[in-house]
Amino acid sequence: MKVLVADDSRVMRQIVVRTLRQAGYDWWEITEATDGAEALEVVNSDPELALVLSDWNMPNMTGIQLLHAMRQQGSDLPFGFVTSEGSTEMREQAEAAGALFLIAKPFSAEVFRDTIDPFLA
Amino acid sequence: MTTDVTDAGGMGLDVDALGNTDPILSIAEEVFSAMIDGEPGLLNPWYGDRPDPVEPMHAWVDVHEAGSGRVLIEAERGTVVELTRALLAMGPDEEVTEADMVDGLGEVANVVGGNVKALVPETGVLTLPQVSSERPPTPAEDLLHELALDWRGRLVVLSLWRLP
Repeated sequence: MKVLVADDSRVMRQIVVRTLRQAGYDWWEITEATDGAEALEVVNSDPELALVLSDWNMPNMTGIQLLHAMRQQGSDLPFGFVTSEGSTEMREQAEAAGALFLIAKPFSAEVFRDTIDPFLA
Repeated sequence: MTTDVTDAGGMGLDVDALGNTDPILSIAEEVFSAMIDGEPGLLNPWYGDRPDPVEPMHAWVDVHEAGSGRVLIEAERGTVVELTRALLAMGPDEEVTEADMVDGLGEVANVVGGNVKALVPETGVLTLPQVSSERPPTPAEDLLHELALDWRGRLVVLSLWRLP
């Protein structure tokens, strides 16, 4: 399964990938993007992509702008946020835009499993 | 631990209401245990005099549009090296680059700032983190809350500031 991790922080991308491995998703093939604009290019160029995990607050194109752009282009690719803000308002905004979930940082492998597993069934 | 509560405004955070609890400490403990240490108990309040910082680094995020404020983290350069090493799960002999130090300290500020912002009901916009060897110019009277922390024997200072 090909998964895109979008975050402007290399450190955070590495932590997300490490935590995904710890959560048992070591069979995923991970691609990385450094902002929303780069993520959109990957989404548009890789038809095998199965899931996008994106930060919210990024330069060039934010995560929510990325999600809006994907849906406007007709992409129904599963999308989840992994972000430092987990307010009710942001969760509502994410859900309304079509995100499956929002994982707030800091996170654990257990949180990843509990949040992501239901959508893999 | 040094806790200096000078005002109840800024960021919409009622620091007087903190009472004997400190949600900022709880946030810091959670961030360090989950992202940095992989286990709880290695971040604690700092007791006693604070050493003069050697080559301090500062990272901060601001909240704008509603109760503007700043979350600032300060640590010595040597501490930031070890923080980054822990964040990236690097071995003791692996070289830590300047870019990773800036990225790592900025991300810690970002995650702490995002969680502090979530404490207040007002909506606002969180900036991307900034990192500098220079402390951002904020008047001392705009300090809302300060927390000195002991991470593996090293001093890390978290503070909240009111912005105009």
